[in-house]
Amino acid sequence: MFPKEERIWAWQKIPESSRIIFFASIIIIIFLTPNLAEGYESTWDEVNINSNNNYNAAVIDSNGDAWVFGDNGVIIHGEKLTNWSIVNSPTVEDILTADSNENLVVAAGKNGVVIYKEILSNEWINIDIDNQTRINSVSINNFDEIVIVTDLGGIQIYKDNEWLQINSLTSEKLFDITFENERGLISGSSGLILGSEDNGLTWEVRDTPEIVAESEIISIGYYKANRAYAITSEGNILKSTQESLTTTVGYSWTIKEIESENYSTSMNVNLTSLEILSTTKILLTGEEGFVALSKDGGNIVTPQLLPDGNTYLKINDMAMENAFRGIIVGDNGKIFYTENGGEDNPVGFEIIDLSNFNEFVDFTKDNLWEGLKATVKIVIFGILLGFFLGIMLAMCKTAPTTLKQMIESDLEKTLILFWIGIPISIFSTRENGIGLGIFTFLSIISISILLDQYINKKNTESDGFLGILIPEQHRNKVIKILGLSLLIGVPISGGMNINGGVELIYSALVDFHDFQLGSDTPKLSAQLAYIFAPIGNPSAFFALIIGIGLTYLGILFILTNGTFTKKTIYAGKLILLVILWTVILTELFVGFNLDKFDLNVSNLMKFGLLLGIGFFLTRRIIPKLSRKEIKINDFSISIDPWSLRPLNSIATLYTDFFRNTPLLVQFMFIHFGMQLGKHIQNIGVDFTGDLAIISSYLGPLDNLISPLIEYVNESLFGPGKRSYLSAIFALGLNSAAYQCETIRGAIAAIPSGQMEAGRSIGLTYMGTMRLIILPQAIRICIPPLGNEMVNLVLNSSLASVIAYTELTRQGKLVVAITFQIFWTWGMVMIAYFVVTWTLAILLRRLEEKTRIPGLGISGGN
Amino acid sequence: MDDDVLIVEDLEKIYSGGVHAVRGVSFKVKKGESVAIIGSSGSGKSTVLRCINRLIEPTNGIIKLNGEIINNPLADVNEIRSKIGMVFQSFELFSHLKVLENITLGLKHVRGMNKEESEKIALEVLDRVDMLDRIDAYPGNLSGGQKQRVAIARSLAMHPEVILFDEPTSALDPELIGSVLQTIRGLADEGMTMVIVTHEINFAKDVADRIIYMDKGLIEEEGPSDIIEKPKTDRLKEFLSAMDEE
Repeated sequence: MFPKEERIWAWQKIPESSRIIFFASIIIIIFLTPNLAEGYESTWDEVNINSNNNYNAAVIDSNGDAWVFGDNGVIIHGEKLTNWSIVNSPTVEDILTADSNENLVVAAGKNGVVIYKEILSNEWINIDIDNQTRINSVSINNFDEIVIVTDLGGIQIYKDNEWLQINSLTSEKLFDITFENERGLISGSSGLILGSEDNGLTWEVRDTPEIVAESEIISIGYYKANRAYAITSEGNILKSTQESLTTTVGYSWTIKEIESENYSTSMNVNLTSLEILSTTKILLTGEEGFVALSKDGGNIVTPQLLPDGNTYLKINDMAMENAFRGIIVGDNGKIFYTENGGEDNPVGFEIIDLSNFNEFVDFTKDNLWEGLKATVKIVIFGILLGFFLGIMLAMCKTAPTTLKQMIESDLEKTLILFWIGIPISIFSTRENGIGLGIFTFLSIISISILLDQYINKKNTESDGFLGILIPEQHRNKVIKILGLSLLIGVPISGGMNINGGVELIYSALVDFHDFQLGSDTPKLSAQLAYIFAPIGNPSAFFALIIGIGLTYLGILFILTNGTFTKKTIYAGKLILLVILWTVILTELFVGFNLDKFDLNVSNLMKFGLLLGIGFFLTRRIIPKLSRKEIKINDFSISIDPWSLRPLNSIATLYTDFFRNTPLLVQFMFIHFGMQLGKHIQNIGVDFTGDLAIISSYLGPLDNLISPLIEYVNESLFGPGKRSYLSAIFALGLNSAAYQCETIRGAIAAIPSGQMEAGRSIGLTYMGTMRLIILPQAIRICIPPLGNEMVNLVLNSSLASVIAYTELTRQGKLVVAITFQIFWTWGMVMIAYFVVTWTLAILLRRLEEKTRIPGLGISGGN
Repeated sequence: MDDDVLIVEDLEKIYSGGVHAVRGVSFKVKKGESVAIIGSSGSGKSTVLRCINRLIEPTNGIIKLNGEIINNPLADVNEIRSKIGMVFQSFELFSHLKVLENITLGLKHVRGMNKEESEKIALEVLDRVDMLDRIDAYPGNLSGGQKQRVAIARSLAMHPEVILFDEPTSALDPELIGSVLQTIRGLADEGMTMVIVTHEINFAKDVADRIIYMDKGLIEEEGPSDIIEKPKTDRLKEFLSAMDEE
């Protein structure tokens, strides 16, 4: 009964839904694969010592040996940061802090324990303070004297073998002390910073920003004599610079607005320690495995990864030998070691012979490979975005819906659109921003369509839309009222008003007028500057376009007489009309000055009278003149305002814009001008944040979902993804305009009988389009679409101008390092060729696979 | 009155170019009746047919299907079309779908049937047009006559109230016409309501219960099939003699 062809590969037998899921998962996997060029591999290596103590403090002494101190007085010695061993400790108290200089290593902790060791000696000496207080920090001043601060606000100096109490002016907790030659700084709770200029004998309170007045300044440090930083346990970064050559650093403190946190002052991390590597380079640690580097003094803070499994580890301290080599220590016996400041980029002086092709390729292949992957990623999503948008635009362009149809058959739908959908969306936009506004609009449209299908499910006779059917005799009146409402909007004061077409045009023109462009020179050419007005006030420009559209519709609807056919106007009448309105408008508006316009009775009378005469002549007298009376009867003009297709107009505006501007400029406008990537990133971060909140209510499922959400958030909207998002959109939006025209051409090539056949079996227009026209049209346009896709791959090289590190940009970087111009660009070219050629072969194969007998002339059989 | 499936009253169509294609045509089709519309090219007969299922919007006039006015702008046009089958001059099979899929498409997406139901009906109607052996072929691999029989099966599958044939044989080679005419004749015998626009005078005479002769957008002559033998009007006589010469 069912003679089936034998199939070796049973792809067709897999249910359609599974196939869609298959493709969707591949896409999601590709989309979410982290870009290694933008990600960070952990360069902190774990040091293995058999100990589970919590380590609280670390220092590296002037020999380059590390000393790590922890609970129960444990001391770890890391010789040259490589040979690690546990050494005998003179105390069993928990050690909380440590410091070193050229001669001494010193540590201190709970119950007043203080121990020190001379660099050249191996023996630790105990110099405990009697009074059992908790020592939060220890430091060494310029005279090799040990200075400690306590949890109760005490400061003591070990001078001449005995502890000397210093007046600290406060009873706040003191957390950290540091010295740079004779100058010292102490930080404490309630935003306290103390300073000393005399090796810690006297201290004074320094000004700190109001915003940290309640915060605990957990760590503070100098970089030489000209920069100091401090951090709070709430994630703020404070900075102090030398205000002039004569003053010293540490007097006035400012709080950093952290650019990588959207200019927030806090990183929302409980910071634990700070290490200052240069005037602008600082390393931070925090609870929950937080390690971060800022290379520009806290503007951009880049988190670093620890090896797997340390996500919730509390990091307590760090010690850096120089800007690259150092260790961090934390709870549970964890010590991590790095040789390059935790950064991904290898720092070293490996000598590479770049004139040897083998070594050159070895040196650059990673860059090019990363670039290639980055290119493929934006290309795939650019193609997908462009293709779907292109199909939508092509369908809009070929949509037969005319104004006549909207008003004649779909008046109820049109009313709901203009009187309910759009106003509510505008309110929603005002309240909650454009994103929710669009969401509201789409929801209203889809809900009303679904509701209508539900209401009209069993009725064969049409009962209008949503069961509303305006009777025949009232339809014209309703159309006129609709027209009036489009012209004047909803003129309610307060937040409730919605501007009509006239008001929109008026206010936009006022806004443009306010630029006073070219007002200095009366020449006409100066007035041409107004072509740039749209960019001076984009919202006014959009208001103008929408206003013109609404006014057109409004006037058309008001003037309706029930027949929606075209009008034939004899040239004579047209000329009369033009003369009439030129005279009236000149009379009204020449010398009209908006600023000085006085809304008094005589002005209103003049306006009313002239407009009244104009409309009376237009409607009553001129149409009744016969041809003979006008004496020009051999020439007529047909206008058909009702045949305007709104969807087509919108799609045409879109394609005209994108096809008539250069892609390079579009890239720069979208990324730098509109900052589209940044906006999408913000929306995405908010969205995933909301998802995380929803997911937190799901109980045990949350453990599964929240890492996924976090992963999506990181790989799509994480730091450094802005140019990625911008590049996808710039490529996709541009390509959509071209693909739209290609697909439209293919739709036009399908015989109109196919549409008739589809409609005649009862399919809707969209159904016929989806099931019959598009499957054939797409097959026809595979070759030109392939062409467009190859173009898109090649155009993706322009993404290098917005700092997206794709293949071309990697090529530039490689050239900048190696100066091997011929090899580099040659390799880049080969890489591009491989991508596009593969794409072309795939498309050729697709074309053969999908070829249908009898459709088009394709050569061969 | 009750058994009038289709009523056309004062149908008029002016194309946007100003061509007055149909100038007021009225006729009725009873249930089970087959009506043939003949006439020279440009006489407006195809326009009448396309107006009936609103592929063309009539300018004036009323069309009723089972007593319900269907050329109201507010009527559900998709619902109406699914009740009116249409067979085209150039077949208009969906060339990307196989024969079976061509027929099940409407059943699935308009009638909302599942795969099994729709295939059952499809095989039934393909059996009626004697095309069971080619259900897995693409339309491009069929001959003209076979294509037209599939097209007839496609409209039959929707169980229409009436089927409109728009010159179903004029794109076919003479030797292929026979099978298609045979199929249509079979439908007439089964009592299917049909309106057939055709050039095949003999076929019209053979199959149609009633023949309508149109000229210049008007019905010139109308009557049972023997008006071919004994035409009353001069125009029909001229037309018939011109057809004989061919």
